[in-house]
Amino acid sequence: MIPIENFLILSSLLFAMGLYGVLARRSAILILMSIELMLAAVSINFIAFATYLDGEAFSGLVFALFVITVAAAEVGLALGIVLRLFRERRTAYVDAADSLKW
Amino acid sequence: MGIDLVGMEDVWILPAIPFAVFILVSFFGRLIPRNGDFIAVLGMALVVLLVGLVLVDFQGAFHDEVFAPIAGANTYSFDWIDIGDGFFVIEFSTYVDAVTMVMLPVVSFVSLMVLVYSIGYMKGEARYGWYFAALSFFVAAMLLLVISGNLLQLYLAWEAVGLASYLLIGFYWERQSAAEAAKKAFITTRIGDVGLLIGIILLWRVTGTFDIQEIIHAAEEGVFGQTYLTVAMLFLFAGAAGKSAQFPFHVWLPDAMEGPTPVSALIHAATMVVAGVYLVARMLPVYDEVLIARDVVLYVGLITALMAATMGLVATDIKRVLAFSTVSQLGFMFAALGVGALTAAMFHLFTHAFFKSLLFLGSGSVIHATEQQEVGELGGLRKKMPITALTFTIGSLALAGIPVFAGFWSKDEILHDLQHYGPFAAYVILAVTAALTAIYTTRLVLLTFFGKPKNEQAYEHAHESPPIMTGPLVILAVLALVVGFITYQGVGESLGFVGGIGELVYLPHHGPHVFKLDIAFAAVATATAVVGVAIGIMYWWGDARRAIAAQSWAPELHQLLVRRYYLDELYQGVINHVVLGAAAVVAWFDKRVVNETGVDGSTQFVGFLGYRFKFLQTGRIPHYVLGMALGVAALAVVAIGTT
Repeated sequence: MIPIENFLILSSLLFAMGLYGVLARRSAILILMSIELMLAAVSINFIAFATYLDGEAFSGLVFALFVITVAAAEVGLALGIVLRLFRERRTAYVDAADSLKW
Repeated sequence: MGIDLVGMEDVWILPAIPFAVFILVSFFGRLIPRNGDFIAVLGMALVVLLVGLVLVDFQGAFHDEVFAPIAGANTYSFDWIDIGDGFFVIEFSTYVDAVTMVMLPVVSFVSLMVLVYSIGYMKGEARYGWYFAALSFFVAAMLLLVISGNLLQLYLAWEAVGLASYLLIGFYWERQSAAEAAKKAFITTRIGDVGLLIGIILLWRVTGTFDIQEIIHAAEEGVFGQTYLTVAMLFLFAGAAGKSAQFPFHVWLPDAMEGPTPVSALIHAATMVVAGVYLVARMLPVYDEVLIARDVVLYVGLITALMAATMGLVATDIKRVLAFSTVSQLGFMFAALGVGALTAAMFHLFTHAFFKSLLFLGSGSVIHATEQQEVGELGGLRKKMPITALTFTIGSLALAGIPVFAGFWSKDEILHDLQHYGPFAAYVILAVTAALTAIYTTRLVLLTFFGKPKNEQAYEHAHESPPIMTGPLVILAVLALVVGFITYQGVGESLGFVGGIGELVYLPHHGPHVFKLDIAFAAVATATAVVGVAIGIMYWWGDARRAIAAQSWAPELHQLLVRRYYLDELYQGVINHVVLGAAAVVAWFDKRVVNETGVDGSTQFVGFLGYRFKFLQTGRIPHYVLGMALGVAALAVVAIGTT
C-alpha cells in the first residue's frame, strides 16, 4: 500500500489549484469547473481516509457519494445563474456583476 | 332640627362644594344660562350656611367639654398612601379648633359677598363663566387650606390657592401688564413655597409625621434640637412671608392689582394673603419653642408694616394704596404673632377681612362708575355715589383705627400686646405705622370722594352702582362697624359663645383673657389715629395744596417711595446677573459640549468611518470569494491552534 500521505498531498494540491481557479478566473464557467475540482479533491481526501484508517467503517465512501450528488445539483443551479448573468450582461465574465459597488 | 346634621367632623364638605361648582361651571358653563354665576353664588351661600351649622356644633363642644380651644377636635382622617407601614403616610385629615372657626366664616362670608358683587361688576366681561369657576376653585382651595390637619395637605391647598391667584390676576391676560403681574405673583410666592416645603420635610424627618398636632406635641416635648427646629420654622416662615407678601416678598401684591377688583378684594385682602398668617398662627406653639424664629417673625412684620405704610402714602392708584395697606396690616398681624399674641393677630385678621374687602369693593364701585383708577382723575364723588362714599368712609375709619369701628378694637389689641410682651421699640414702630395708616387712608378718601373733581368727563360719567354691588358694600360696612365688639365677654356670650374673642382664641400657656378696656392705652391709640386723620385732612383737604408743596421738599424721598425702594429693580438685577448668568453657562455647555461635540460629532465620526470603509464594497465577486477564503483559513488556523 502506498502511504496515505500521497493521497492527502494529491488532494491538497488539487484543492489549491481549484481555489486558485475560483479566485483568479474571470469566466463563470471556469469558476464552476474550479469548484468541481475542489469538490473532487475533497472526495479523494474522504476516500483516502476511509480506506486507510478504518476498514470496517466506510462513512468516508458514503460521504464521497454525497459530494457527487451535491455537486451535480449545485452545477445545475449554478449554470442557471450563469445563464441569467449572461442574459443581463451579454457576457459570462463574473466582474460584470458589480452593481453592488459602493 | 337638622342642626346636628353637619358637625365638625364633616368640614370636608366645605371645600367639596365650591370645587364641584368649579367643575360644573368650567366644563358645562356654556350650557347653563348666565354661564352659571348663580350656581357659584348658591354654592357659596350653602357653604356659609354649613359653616353656621359647624359653628353651632363648635359652640356645643365648648360648653360640654373642658375648655381647651387649641386642643380642638381632630375631626376626620383618612389614610391615602401608606409606604413602609407608617414610615411615610399621606393622609387626608381635617382639624377644627378656634383658629379654624375664625377663618371659616371669614372665607365663606367674604367670598359670598364678592361673588354677589361680581355679578354686577363683571357684567358683560369676556370669559364671565370662567371667572366664577376660577373664584370657586380658589374658595375650595382656601377652605381646604384652613381645615387641613396635616402639613402636606396644607401645602397642596397652598399651591392650589397660588394657582388660583395666578389665574385670576391674569384674568385679563390680553394686557401684557396683567400677564406679567400674574407671573410675578406666582414666581415670588413659589420661592417662598420652596422654603415651606423644606420646612415641612425637616419637620417630618424628625417626627415621621405630617400631622400638625403631632408635630406641635413633639416640639413641646423637646424631640427637636433647638437649632434644627429654628431652621425648620424659619423655612416655614419663608413660605408664609411669600404668600402673605411680607418683606422681602412683598413685591408681587401691588402688581397683583391688575386682576379684577373683586378678585383683589377676596384674594389679596381677605383670604389668600392671610394664609401665611394662618400658617404661623397654627404653628405658633412650635414657634414659642424657638424664640429666635418667632423674633424673626416679629421683625419682618414690623419692617413690612412700616415700609408698606410709607409706600401707600405716595401711591396714586386707589387699588395700589389699598394693596400697600394690606401688606402693612398683614405686617401688624405677623408682629402680633411674633410676640405670641395669637388672639390679637386672629382678631385683626377677622376685622381686617371685612373692612379691607369693603374698601376694595368700594374702590371697584368707583372704578366701575368712572373707568378711572388714578386718584388724580377722581374727586368729589361723594355727591354722585353716596352709598359707595359712605361705606368706603366707614371702611376707612375702621382701617384707620377710629374707636367704635372694628379696626380700632383689633389694632388696639395688637398694640396692647406688643407693648406688654414685646420690646418697646416694636410698639413705637407699630404706633407710628398706625398713624401713617390713618394718614394715607384719609388721603385716599379725601382725594377720591371729596374736593373738586379733577376729571370732568369721569365725574359726569359717574353714577351710583346697582344694588347688587352696593348691597354687599352695605353689609360689609355694617360688619366693619359692629364686629369689633366681639372682644367683649358680654357680646360673645349673647351670641352663644363662652365669651369674647379673648376667651375663644388663645395660646395654651397664655390662657384665656377677658377683655377689659384699658382707657389710658386706648386713649393713646385713639389719639394716634385721630392725629393721623387730622394730618390727612390738613394736607389733602380741598385742593391738597400742602401735600403738593410737601412733595417738593424732598423729591428724592418721594421718588424712593414711589419706586418702592427700588426693590423691583434690585430683584430684576439679581435675576439678570445671577439667574440668567448661570443659565448662560448651562446654555453654553448644552450647545458646545452636548450638541456640537456629542451629537454632531458622533454623526461626523460615523460618516467619516463610512467614507473610509466603503471602498471595501467593490461589488466584484472574486473579491468577495477571496474574503470568504481568507475567513475560512483564519478559522481553520484558530481551530487547529486551539486543539
